[in-house]
Amino acid sequence: MSLEIQRLISQIQDMAQVAARQVAELEHLIPKAEGALHAHAGEDPQELIEKISRAGQSWRGAIPTSEAIDAIFSTPPIPSKFTALGADGSQILPDRHSLALYYLINTGSIVVQHGSGDAPLTASHPRIFYEEQDLYPTGDALIKSEWIVALRDVAEMAELARLADGDQGAPSLALLDNGLLLWIVGQEGVIPSTQIDRLKTEYQRSMQRIRTSGSALAGFVDRPRSANVIRMLHLAGLPKEEISDEALRAHPFQRLNDGMLFSRLLSAGQRSARFGIISPINQDFSLAGHGIQFFYLNSGYRDQIARIEIPDWVGENDALMQLVHAGIVEECRTTGMPYVLARAHELAVVSQSDRQTLERALQAFLMEQGLQVEISQKERAKRWLGLGRRSTRRSHLL
Amino acid sequence: MSKNPVLIARVTRCSTRSFVGASRLPEPDVPTFGSFCKASAQRGQSEVIGLIYDIRIEDDEFTRQIAIASDPPREQLADNRFSRLIPIEISCLSVGYRIENEFTQRIPPQPPMTLDEVYALTDDEVREFTAGLDFVPLVFAAPGLAADDLVTAALQHAARVRAKNERRGFLIEAGRVCAKYLSVDLPRLERLVRSLTP
Repeated sequence: MSLEIQRLISQIQDMAQVAARQVAELEHLIPKAEGALHAHAGEDPQELIEKISRAGQSWRGAIPTSEAIDAIFSTPPIPSKFTALGADGSQILPDRHSLALYYLINTGSIVVQHGSGDAPLTASHPRIFYEEQDLYPTGDALIKSEWIVALRDVAEMAELARLADGDQGAPSLALLDNGLLLWIVGQEGVIPSTQIDRLKTEYQRSMQRIRTSGSALAGFVDRPRSANVIRMLHLAGLPKEEISDEALRAHPFQRLNDGMLFSRLLSAGQRSARFGIISPINQDFSLAGHGIQFFYLNSGYRDQIARIEIPDWVGENDALMQLVHAGIVEECRTTGMPYVLARAHELAVVSQSDRQTLERALQAFLMEQGLQVEISQKERAKRWLGLGRRSTRRSHLL
Repeated sequence: MSKNPVLIARVTRCSTRSFVGASRLPEPDVPTFGSFCKASAQRGQSEVIGLIYDIRIEDDEFTRQIAIASDPPREQLADNRFSRLIPIEISCLSVGYRIENEFTQRIPPQPPMTLDEVYALTDDEVREFTAGLDFVPLVFAAPGLAADDLVTAALQHAARVRAKNERRGFLIEAGRVCAKYLSVDLPRLERLVRSLTP
């Protein structure tokens, strides 16, 4: 171990004190935010929507839906039979110290048929990218990591669509381990806009396949830090004529987030009202018929608060909403996050040891082709230093 | 009892004295303590014969969460028992090798290599290998093993793959071999012979 913890002790103590002070300050704000939520729930929703329209393009708050903003919903009955689908992905980014230049995307997925007693169906789909057009898609520079992450996001949604297509019979709930908006859409300049459009189209096509299959779709965000509802409450308290960028920035609930507010309001299994997301990406998704809403949920596992994102077509369909709500609560019962997402992650994750096994195989096949290749000396030295001691839990050789 | 070779593991680490393999076989196919297996060595020129002395099923925090949950769904139990990548680790004592179809009951010249396949010995192979019992002292000499239980399990396994009318004679001969090595410890020999008695 090279980090000298002893030398950090006083800094860690200071850090803990600051954290405790911040928590106390935020605790003080929560009742005020709660009061604002109830107060504005009784007002004309049209008034709030008008204020939101005055807030400008850069404001990132929530917009009410047909549900009262302080509404709370208890867990609907858990269906005796339903299918939970989960997909997750991981990647190996190109590394110039590696044996060869390549990247890899692996998606893991699982289908659990609740009420059947059967072992779930699992799958993983690893794919390695090594051709010139994969590595240098714009001709000159090596593909950026953001682009690879976006390809992974698209692959995750495509995998969910594949599972939803094949699912017949019991109602099914398709879950992703994240929000549902494709992050790269808001990152113009990182990759060419034509490529963003292509990725977005493919992603939304998969969402449409899930919709057509009759499945519900939801994204699960654990420990959310977003403050869309908090910003909305501040905006709702401003007189219309005082709404300006400056007034919106200087709000009394700074650093308070939605999760903190709803952890006070929601008991085990309860969900908040649905809200819309104000953002250019969501506008774009709305135009394609897949605008995103969200709500907060106490999963029932140690009072964990999660943010659940759903497309409009789920939010406005009572049966699908009930399945999302009850299904996620049931899925969280043993592991604190949806079981299918925990397992999809396990099936997708590429560990350091997996990577080394892959590279050993790659080295052997390259040698068969007469190519003598090695990792860089820097990488080799890092591996020597990172080896550590062997676990004592392993059974010994005689 | 197998008529055809069954893949039971791949080697993860090894020495000339022993090797360890990992597998994710479903429950009924997990090999048993005291059964014989083989793994290729010397780039396929020889096969190391192993005697399984330990089978370990690892757990993890995720499994523990399921185990302590009240009324976990049956699907999650089935997933963790049959589908999850929880390796079964099989430890094998090297008790011989085969070169050009001839078995030798000594420590092999080389261990198998990492990721080499480990197969259960077929019934015919077990019969042929245990035609001689020179592997018995290798087991007694191995440090830290439950040697008596392992010898008993291996010999009973070898007896079961023989015709019924040959089993008793085989076990009597096996008892004689054990007596040679345990004659200085009569209570131990008595226990072992009693456990071999059909």
